[in-house]
Amino acid sequence: MTIKNKTNKEQISSQVEKPGCIFPDVLSNFTKFGKKGKLNNICSYGGHMKQETNNRVPMFEDIPENASNIRLGHLANTKKKNAYRQEAILGVLFAMPAILGFIIFTLGPMLASLILSFTDYAVFNKLKFVGFENYINLFNGDNPFFYKSILVTFYYVALSVPLGLTFHFFLAVLMNRKIKFRGIYRAVFYLPTILPIAATCTVWMWLFNPDFGLLNYLLGFLGIPKLMWIGSEAGVVPSIVLTAVWIAGNTMVTFLAGLQDIPRQMLEAVDVDGGNAFHKLRHITIPMVSSTIFFNFIMGIINGFQVIVQPMMMTAGGPNNSSLFYGMFLYKEAFEFSRMGSACAIAWVLFIIIMIFTGLTFKSSPMWVYYEGEVKGK
Amino acid sequence: MKKAIKILSLMLIVSFVFGTVFVGCGSTNKEPVKADASTKDAAAKKEPVTLKFTYWGSPIEKKAVEDCVKKFQEKNSYITVDGMYIPSADYLTKITAMIAGNDAPDLGYMDVSLAFKMAEEGKLCNINDFLAKDSELKKEDYLDNIWYNWAPGKSLGTNSACESITLLYNADMIKAAGVETPPTKAENAWDWDKFVEIARKLTIDSNGKNALDPAFDYKNIKQYGVQFPTTWQYYMPLVYSNGGDYVNDDGSKLTLSSKEATDAIQNLADLVNKYHVAPSPVQQRSMPAPSVGLQSKQVAMILAGQWNLLDLGAAKLNFGVGVLPKLKKSVTLVLGSPTVIFSGGRHPEEAWLLYKWLQNPESSIDLQAGGLWMPLMKDWYTKPELISKWAENNPSHPEGYKDAIMKQTIEKGVSGPAYYVKGFSEIDAIIAPALEQVWLGNKTAEQAIKEVEPKVQEKLKGRYDNKKQN
Repeated sequence: MTIKNKTNKEQISSQVEKPGCIFPDVLSNFTKFGKKGKLNNICSYGGHMKQETNNRVPMFEDIPENASNIRLGHLANTKKKNAYRQEAILGVLFAMPAILGFIIFTLGPMLASLILSFTDYAVFNKLKFVGFENYINLFNGDNPFFYKSILVTFYYVALSVPLGLTFHFFLAVLMNRKIKFRGIYRAVFYLPTILPIAATCTVWMWLFNPDFGLLNYLLGFLGIPKLMWIGSEAGVVPSIVLTAVWIAGNTMVTFLAGLQDIPRQMLEAVDVDGGNAFHKLRHITIPMVSSTIFFNFIMGIINGFQVIVQPMMMTAGGPNNSSLFYGMFLYKEAFEFSRMGSACAIAWVLFIIIMIFTGLTFKSSPMWVYYEGEVKGK
Repeated sequence: MKKAIKILSLMLIVSFVFGTVFVGCGSTNKEPVKADASTKDAAAKKEPVTLKFTYWGSPIEKKAVEDCVKKFQEKNSYITVDGMYIPSADYLTKITAMIAGNDAPDLGYMDVSLAFKMAEEGKLCNINDFLAKDSELKKEDYLDNIWYNWAPGKSLGTNSACESITLLYNADMIKAAGVETPPTKAENAWDWDKFVEIARKLTIDSNGKNALDPAFDYKNIKQYGVQFPTTWQYYMPLVYSNGGDYVNDDGSKLTLSSKEATDAIQNLADLVNKYHVAPSPVQQRSMPAPSVGLQSKQVAMILAGQWNLLDLGAAKLNFGVGVLPKLKKSVTLVLGSPTVIFSGGRHPEEAWLLYKWLQNPESSIDLQAGGLWMPLMKDWYTKPELISKWAENNPSHPEGYKDAIMKQTIEKGVSGPAYYVKGFSEIDAIIAPALEQVWLGNKTAEQAIKEVEPKVQEKLKGRYDNKKQN
């Protein structure tokens, strides 16, 4: 597996180093026909397709370069510019479905919600601008749920992200070993990810049942008294973390991919130097997958701040709001109390919180994330 | 080249138009078309009219409402009803989106709190106006305690159906335990001590000992004496019974913190934590629905809505009904959610026709006789020939029903706080979590409510008094 990967990589890198168009012969044949402008398009797009099949990431800047090669220097600068513009426009046009989708379904609503966050809007009333009132009401404690939900959500993120990363990484390391029935194990651990989350919540509620749930039954064998799990204020967030960590599939798979990218000779080098498994993990595996850890860490934070289904299904925010997650708070504000303006403000506060945390993670990444081929200081 | 730019600009324009449409939603509103044509004129004209009607409910309710609407269309051939069933979990979200998209229905079921807010914004019709013009119906024909009035003389409508809270029990289990059957007449209602005693006799642990036995093991309970959900619908009847209320007369002060109210709530919590005769909310979460618990003998009595009769009747269970236990006086809580007519619709007269049709017990008789609904009209509680159509001779209405539920609802029914406390859903969002600590036995009712009282006090905005208004 590793060897195959390596050769693949070599191919790719050699591809990247080749300047200009990949198939000059074919392209020059094309130039014999018709208008040049049109042909350029065909050529460059044809080139792109080929490039993509070779795993090369097509880049926009490539287009004029290709084009100039094909034209063999006949064309004046102005025409070159025209052709470039034309291609740029066509490129944008072809990307339009995605761009329009983003504008209409993401950017538009986002801007709308930003505007609404400064209004007193309840869907059925007249819009009234209230300035920063929605935001002020959140931060000055007028809203009885804001700080509580922030606290609950931070607690959840602080608990679920490190725990989840560690557990999923550990699982991936196990799944990466050459053990019997590895395929079956991988499938089994991936299974929770395919199951509908509502169904897994129901099952967990049974497990958590304080009287006849399986978890308390097992604890009974160890002589540990019955726990209340999601029924107690102290236990509810850790219990929900448990259910979230159990859904291991996606993170585990990305870790597995990262682990399989580690060149075998590096691990062998540790063997040669007399290192043990811990040394391999500490000095080779973890640094080599640090970029995957980085990715999963950020996704964990983003998803953690937005968690809503488990508390909705299992606790309805209780007991005593100790599982009133930020997402639930937002939902309540919007649809139960029909205060859309305030709900939009809440959503934007969450957006900013996530942005800050993601930004901090990115800022800190040079200290601990290692990319293969990266030269320090560049 | 030019063509490409043209296409591009066209696409941009389209995207901007879409964008503005999305952003601009909700800020404009259709002008209501004046409704001057009388019902008969409209029928004579036979101009085709389409009404959009939204509702929620169980599969059985859905089927019954569909049939009801179909009959309405047969009778009024010029009206087409576009009935939209929305599952109740999605109802608020969906209806909010419809209103935001200027696509509000003509009439529909509605959440109480949202309905009041919309009525105050002028988005719902005043049903009193329709009634004043109507030749067939008077306001006096309806029960008194089912109206949602947002201001004097202004009513956004009645319950979609009348409901009340009652005591239901598995008759076989009562017999097996050898205890008295719960009384059906208000004057014989059990007092609290009697109720607790019966509940203790009915609670049995895995060794077969009941809760009065000194060796009773409350950690391994096989059969609970009583089960009740812990929301306001179930503690408020006891608060009223004890002479308490949610807020004071002008709605300026929370009275749920008064001794009458906290005692009542504490009594209920004691069933869970002191006497161990009722499951806690945590235990209930993984127990079946109360009506199913009765059937599977996990619980002997439930404090529940009368709508459970539908399931119990269909299950052919040997069950009975009784009045709720009392503290000071015997009462029950009347509840439901309103059906409303949205203002701004094009056909208010036709919407009123359908509204009346839905309210008429005759047109939804299956649901009344099935036990899910109770009629909204007084005559159906007093005239024997009408009572016999729904409350007699069917498996959902056992012996004693007429006293324990039907009579109790019109004579001792108190409309719940959702009918009169302004901003109730937001207040309950503070009170309910606080009370969770009481149900779990971590705090007394008094402590818990006193703690959140200042926060609730800030949210109080008065009451929509539905008693002074008529």
